Amino acid sequence: MPHANLFLRTIPPLLVVALVGLPVFVAVVTGLTAGDGATWDHILQNRLVPYTLTTLSVLLMTAIMILGLAVPAAWMITQYDFPGRGIFSWAMILPLAMPGYVMAYSWADLMGVAGPLQSWIRDVSGLSARDYWFPNLFSSVGLAFVLASTLFPYVYITARAAFAMQSRTSIEAARSLGARPIDLFWRVALPVALPTILGGLCLALMEAAADYGAADFLGIQTLGVGIIRSWQSFGEPNTAARLALALILIAGAFLIAARLFQGQRGTQQTSSRWQSQERSKLSPLTGIGVTALCSIILLICFAVPVLRLIWLALENRVSAADLGPLLRATLLLGAMGAAMAFLSAIIFSLSSKRSATLQLATRIIAAAGYAAPGAVLGLGALFIIRETGQALYGSVAIGFLVWIYVSRFTSAGVEPIQASLARLPKNLDLAAQSLGSTGLKQFLRVDLPLIAPGAFAAGLILFVEILKELPATLMLRPFGWDTLAVRAHAYATDERLAQATLPSLLIVLAGLAPVLLLSWRLGQTERT
Amino acid sequence: MINKIKTLTGLSLLIGAVAACSNPTASTSDEATADPQKVLTIYSSRHYDSDKALYAMFEEETGARLDVREAGASQLLETMKAEGDQSPADVVIAADAGSLWRFKDAGLTQPLESEALEAAVPESYRAADSQWYGVARRIRGIAYDPNRWDAASLSTWDTLAQADKAGEICVRSSSNIYNLSLMGELIHRYGEESAQNWATAVVENMARNPQGGDTDQIRAIAAGECSIAIVNHYYWVRLGASESEADQQVAANTSFLIPEFVEGSGSHVNITGVAMTKTADDTELVEQFVAFLLTENGQFYITRDTKELPLLSTTPLPEGVDRLPTFAPSDTHLDVYGENQADAQRLFDLAGWN
Repeated sequence: MPHANLFLRTIPPLLVVALVGLPVFVAVVTGLTAGDGATWDHILQNRLVPYTLTTLSVLLMTAIMILGLAVPAAWMITQYDFPGRGIFSWAMILPLAMPGYVMAYSWADLMGVAGPLQSWIRDVSGLSARDYWFPNLFSSVGLAFVLASTLFPYVYITARAAFAMQSRTSIEAARSLGARPIDLFWRVALPVALPTILGGLCLALMEAAADYGAADFLGIQTLGVGIIRSWQSFGEPNTAARLALALILIAGAFLIAARLFQGQRGTQQTSSRWQSQERSKLSPLTGIGVTALCSIILLICFAVPVLRLIWLALENRVSAADLGPLLRATLLLGAMGAAMAFLSAIIFSLSSKRSATLQLATRIIAAAGYAAPGAVLGLGALFIIRETGQALYGSVAIGFLVWIYVSRFTSAGVEPIQASLARLPKNLDLAAQSLGSTGLKQFLRVDLPLIAPGAFAAGLILFVEILKELPATLMLRPFGWDTLAVRAHAYATDERLAQATLPSLLIVLAGLAPVLLLSWRLGQTERT
Repeated sequence: MINKIKTLTGLSLLIGAVAACSNPTASTSDEATADPQKVLTIYSSRHYDSDKALYAMFEEETGARLDVREAGASQLLETMKAEGDQSPADVVIAADAGSLWRFKDAGLTQPLESEALEAAVPESYRAADSQWYGVARRIRGIAYDPNRWDAASLSTWDTLAQADKAGEICVRSSSNIYNLSLMGELIHRYGEESAQNWATAVVENMARNPQGGDTDQIRAIAAGECSIAIVNHYYWVRLGASESEADQQVAANTSFLIPEFVEGSGSHVNITGVAMTKTADDTELVEQFVAFLLTENGQFYITRDTKELPLLSTTPLPEGVDRLPTFAPSDTHLDVYGENQADAQRLFDLAGWN
């Protein structure tokens, strides 16, 4: 029995670690051992520092914007009653269905010098484009805005859960001691929720770091853009893979920083339920103010860009022919990828739950895949294909693509599950063991029910993420498996943005169902 | 909870089963044919609806089936390298001579020797060793505001480096293949130092940071943000042929010219071309396909949506392309673009052209 247990505890996790880590590992090692070309010297001397500084400054701005959007929204929605609260509580997650590159296309079209807003300003004022100031989306701040507006729901979800499950007693004690609402937030609620919030922020920032589509379209020289440039302009995929190491190091640093912070201040709740507190009523005027604020967030991060795409599609009379097979391929690949990544995330999380060091190690391995651009993982897969003498055909291609999905997105599943696990009190484990429940039995009867809410969220997030995935799908899909993202990209790179609108809208639509399900489920959990 | 797990397991099994026996776009392969069907596998960096019409016509004419993988040229190149001898690819289609050179340089293509093809394609638009053939032409030129400039003041690429163009130029980022190919020819003609100086001067004359695509640059002229844009001809032509009235207005308010390097040097021309891969075994079918692209029908469909220039001078120009001025092509061999591509990006980087 102990041997079997040891086997169960070590072998599957090791396999999963290998599965998740191998593509990144192969890509980076191939890159590092390939020898220095003239390109590497050029990048090292002239580009590495600017790329890194640009990336870090975009990430810093993205982090500030994400926190500014997500934390106040989550606080208002969990603590107060105001008109439309019920709708906002689920609708705030909608931007998750929007791929970053689609958000960039849409806002660039709206805000560009030839777009409707600026054209209107010129028509009304009679000024020329050079005579007035207008916010420039094609800037680092613009990129941070685009990234933050699609990624803030990650932090909103975690912040909302953290605020909602806070022990009622501490907040009520503070209230009865006369703490003002603002103090309640800054001095009681936020410090307790911060570790969880930072976990969500880490995830969002890794995703932002791996972005290529939005940064390239807006012309911002991030590491993601530099990586693709050293591959495509310089023709050196090895240099690209080597450069990806810089992104992976940044992601690792995030995780370690968050971990240190959480280690200092993390708290265990004595109850695993998210206890709903009494929500305070706001005065009518303040209520309307909060409603307006939430509406503006949703308009900017979801409604306006989506409506603009619909408008463009109608204005250009875009035909909806033959999108069916694309949708089917997208959903099938999404389901297969999500199922496998989910499994891998569960195994990852549970195998490491008793050791903090192991936990950090597994999270960093998963994060390496998550922070590496999809194209680098795709290169890793191609290097493996080359070594094994395969052709990118039929089920082999699907196998490799699903593998890359697992490698790329396991982290997006691990984080919510580990957040659930972290909230479980240690004594539950001991209690289960003292009752003779160990190993698989403990997992099925004790752990799984307890982490179910986190696991459910993880599964849905994985599905939505894979629907939106572009570079690896573009590189590895077999014949006849074009996805919506692939088609939208084909049109967009050829500057036929109007044609790109319909597949883009369908991606959003396909992502809405799981996102709504996620919202509904989070609402359910809070109420129990 | 256990029930939930069962449901989940069931679901994933179901997904696997559906995936195993379905191909979302199973197309012509379902037709029952007595003979084993010939298959031609195309790796293409183009995506146009008219390409599909073209492929369907070829399938109908020959009874062969076409498998097409569309992705960026760099991705297709890495895929072929990874697949090695196992690669199913027979034909590569790329929208830039520099990309075709890369496939050749990596040893992924083989010569397609055919007197008929060599007779059809002028020497400057095919590789000397028959490693690739052009099938359509594309020109990088200058869109400009005719109220601000006359064509004579923009007649060569050098004019963009002059001080009177300060704050007037809009152009996309340097990693774009069309910019790299243009820079490749500049390096070939003037050497690295002069080419870098040219790029530095253009950067100083830019109205804004490089951003967006070619179409965005033309729109910026119409909006008044700049008065000169470096763009490919077909983006300007497509604006004129657009469904949207605003786009038609943009095309009407701008002009397009095709500059030379120095007077009489001829102009920078690029191609969409095809190459036969090293792994192709039915070379006859490949030759048939390339020859088909060079028929009247083939030329019509390959340029109908793209608004490229047909390679055969006998083919009528696509709608709207007749608005272009006449030009003489430069005598620089197109392989130069690929050979100089990495240097071009390095010099752009040094010039500060994002």
